[in-house]
Amino acid sequence: MACSGGGGHGQPSSAILSPVTPGSLSTSRTRAHSICMVSDFFYPNMGGVESHIYQLSQCLIERGHKVIIVTHAYGNRKGIRYLTNGLKVYYLPLKVMYNQSTATTLFHSLPLLRYIFVRERVTIIHSHSSFSAMAHDALFHAKTMGLQTVFTDHSLFGFADVSSVLTNKLLTVSLCDTNHIICVSYTSKENTVLRAALNPEIVSVIPNAVDPTDFTPDPFRRHDSVITIVVVSRLVYRKGTDLLSGIIPELCQKYPDLNFIIGGEGPKRIILEEVRERYQLHDRVRLLGALEHKDVRNVLVQGHIFLNTSLTEAFCMAIVEAASCGLQVVSTRVGGIPEVLPEDLIILCEPSVKSLCKGLEKAILQQKSGALPAPENIHNIVKTFYTWRNVAERTEKVYERVSGEAVLPMDKRLDRLISHCGPVTGYIFAFLAVLDYLLLVFLRWMTPDSIIDVAMDATGPSGAWTHQNPDTTQRVENDEVLDTPR
Amino acid sequence: MEDERTFSDICGGRLALQRRYYSPFCREFCLNCPRLSLRSLTAVTCTVWLAAYGLFTLWENSMILSAAISITLLGLLGYLHFVKIDQETLLIIDSLGIQMTSSYASGKESTTFIEMGKVKDVVINEAIYMQKVIYYLCILLKDPVEPHMISQVVPVFQSAKPRLDCLIEVYRSCQEILAHQKATSTSP
Repeated sequence: MACSGGGGHGQPSSAILSPVTPGSLSTSRTRAHSICMVSDFFYPNMGGVESHIYQLSQCLIERGHKVIIVTHAYGNRKGIRYLTNGLKVYYLPLKVMYNQSTATTLFHSLPLLRYIFVRERVTIIHSHSSFSAMAHDALFHAKTMGLQTVFTDHSLFGFADVSSVLTNKLLTVSLCDTNHIICVSYTSKENTVLRAALNPEIVSVIPNAVDPTDFTPDPFRRHDSVITIVVVSRLVYRKGTDLLSGIIPELCQKYPDLNFIIGGEGPKRIILEEVRERYQLHDRVRLLGALEHKDVRNVLVQGHIFLNTSLTEAFCMAIVEAASCGLQVVSTRVGGIPEVLPEDLIILCEPSVKSLCKGLEKAILQQKSGALPAPENIHNIVKTFYTWRNVAERTEKVYERVSGEAVLPMDKRLDRLISHCGPVTGYIFAFLAVLDYLLLVFLRWMTPDSIIDVAMDATGPSGAWTHQNPDTTQRVENDEVLDTPR
Repeated sequence: MEDERTFSDICGGRLALQRRYYSPFCREFCLNCPRLSLRSLTAVTCTVWLAAYGLFTLWENSMILSAAISITLLGLLGYLHFVKIDQETLLIIDSLGIQMTSSYASGKESTTFIEMGKVKDVVINEAIYMQKVIYYLCILLKDPVEPHMISQVVPVFQSAKPRLDCLIEVYRSCQEILAHQKATSTSP
């Protein structure tokens, strides 16, 4: 099911709707890999990529692989830490440049990354997020060192403006010799293939997942005398807050028993406040401000209908979470959203005020006539769709395939760079790749692989992590960092 | 009983570990670093003096030469007295405590003693050091207010930086003694 379907013409909904049976977990025991996840984004920073890496790693550990995570230091949190089940995290002291992404010179991270890859005996490097400079650095060095590489793209991009032209060029360079790429939806795959000029056969689609036990319905929390529409999103242009400000007055005039709850913060909040002021809707439109992830469920269960007005979206987690809480979902038909839920659980509209109002009215009518299935039933259907175990199983298949492939030798890699990335960029990066290789040779001469201590495995086949006595050395091991000798 | 084994440090240099077992519960571990070699001393001196001569021919000021001489001499004295550690010793006695001694190349010695009541445990930890990720042995001290918490981490063999195999050797012995100490202190 790690579908690398030809050219993106596959039937997406059939692929993602097939439920996972718990029994399929134990089948086909594959050999254990030693995986290193690299991304600038990890806890304590909060977000989709962070939880994706964490959940995926936990499920891979459960399946018997060795997983470590490499990220940059967050404030005082630097050095080596262990998380649940012996998941080892390296917080490297690298300088953060912008938006939690590290500055890149392409070379300065090589000594540390090489040391970690060698001492942990890593075989597969799995980088996350195209916004993360460290992820691209790690891909670049891993290819120089002859390790297998996998990249997961979490976002959609444009083609027109200057910044996306530049990022797309860098992505082309970074991905042209990567073994395998994973996207979160078919739309995202199409986008990535076009942006990075890739061969679609090396791009797989593995959707994100939600933890269904976190998002359970609670019908007693909502009042059935009125109908409540919930919106949970950042209030920015990309999420279609302007559409929302058009919908609110129109529907509130038409239906006197309609309330809105809006969770999230952002620069467009002022528009919603203006609307609320102008139409005197203070008692019917509640703006909650920024929500923590753990509070989202408590907001969702207060509503009947979930509205998503995004203008672009690779894979919309919010609507899966809402559906898992038993809400009827109304959403715009953009990006990967049509792939996410089956048609009877979602009402899709064009991204315009008129179309969205029509969709919402349909949902309201269904709600009033009682035609909607009970929240518990919706939850039971949705919880089989996207589970982390399923994601891990599919990712494992990608690893299996990648580990059988050969890594491009240096001369072929240079050929690929020059022929793939245009005459100027190609030569520049081919030159940088040669420099990287020379630096690696120098480092190997300075500290040969043989004098690097092999790290104790916390996870994996010979993992030392025990559940019985988490109170002994391992817990203490993460307490202090020796950055400078005292 | 006394024996000696050779290990290497994290940069590949040679280290000699001497173990002295005075009694089952009093052991001493002694890590000897290689002495200051004549070759590196000559190399450093020659570079400083050649640089000084270069500047001297350029500016023709004899102050530079005398400065170079005094810098080399003072630098060497300072290095031997404050930086270069020839021997690091860990002495562990189960009823008393742990004593760490470092002997500098000049003969100066500095000693730290930690009484057994303050020692919570001896563990091997990992840290990022320069452009490396290394293992090191450290002593965890109890917080005087809350005995379950750790108030301080004291690294051992800080200048020698031996590799993991050597650390495990020392760690095992320390654990044996600590286990015995715990057993005897709780039983009566």
